Amino acid sequence: MVFTSVVNFVRSRGPDEFWRKRKVFRLAAAFQGRKRNCYSIAIRYVHRALVYATKGRKLKKIDMKNLFETRVQAACEQHNVGYATFREGLVRSDIMLNRKTLADLACWEPYTFKALTDIAQRKAVDDGLLDLKNADSLDSTITRGIITDSVKPK
Amino acid sequence: MSALKRVQQWATFARIWHLYDAAWQNPFDSAQVIKKHLMGLHKPIYHTMSQCGDVVVVINSADIALPGDEWKKRVYFHHTGYPGGASWTLAWELHEKDPTMVLKKAVYNSMDGNIQRRYTMQRLLIFPDSNVPKDILENISNQLRPLRKVPKRLDHYPEKEVKEFPKIIDYPKDYIVK
Repeated sequence: MVFTSVVNFVRSRGPDEFWRKRKVFRLAAAFQGRKRNCYSIAIRYVHRALVYATKGRKLKKIDMKNLFETRVQAACEQHNVGYATFREGLVRSDIMLNRKTLADLACWEPYTFKALTDIAQRKAVDDGLLDLKNADSLDSTITRGIITDSVKPK
Repeated sequence: MSALKRVQQWATFARIWHLYDAAWQNPFDSAQVIKKHLMGLHKPIYHTMSQCGDVVVVINSADIALPGDEWKKRVYFHHTGYPGGASWTLAWELHEKDPTMVLKKAVYNSMDGNIQRRYTMQRLLIFPDSNVPKDILENISNQLRPLRKVPKRLDHYPEKEVKEFPKIIDYPKDYIVK
């Protein structure tokens, strides 16, 4: 053990009360009022904060998922594709992108995202999921399914 | 930041003014569309903490169409805070008092009750008719698609067209049309 000062050396000998409390005070450092100075009050609020932190780890994932979905939905709407159709079309085209990647593409690479919606729509129309009035506009889009289906012997 | 990037940034976060014609529209369905544009939920850059919402100008709110018998059955509650201060107002009464209120409340209630809601509502401008001040009108650059077609009333068709409309039978001569 390395002691940086005489004070710490003295404290290290007795019961570990000081060090035990200091761990709690470290966690309570950013609190306001007596919550950060008085141990019996600090420990209650540290407990509460740790419970929030535990719950927050799950909530953060849910929140981010909702945010990504909102963004992708907004981008889908710009290209007149439903969110469910879009995701199903991508899965059927073997394009396994998660929500985060799709949201990033929608935000930063709008042309890439447009291409993805085209592919998803093309696949949805080919598989009979979607009945588009102007499906001719998708004629220039080629999915892997088109090639394999046309090569397959009938 | 280069000049191009700077302009791109401005264009991305520019606040767009949308026009929405509420004539013959269901205010509760319209609220979902209006809310989406007010909060910026229609943009891929959406984030709750970033101010990416647009302005929506609603016209003809006096001509909204409530579904079913909602005019008679829908009740708006208000309490002054004093004992006996509760009051219940029917939708048609509220609409007579202020023809923008039903739509305003529909949009307000469609959003989550947080601090941002009041500021988001400030970006919603509702007019009972199509008389919009010029300084507002000149900002508008987009019109939101109405959710349903505005039906044309029978007495608004020219009389000649009504008479010449093909019919299956003629009424018997002794039939009394109400």
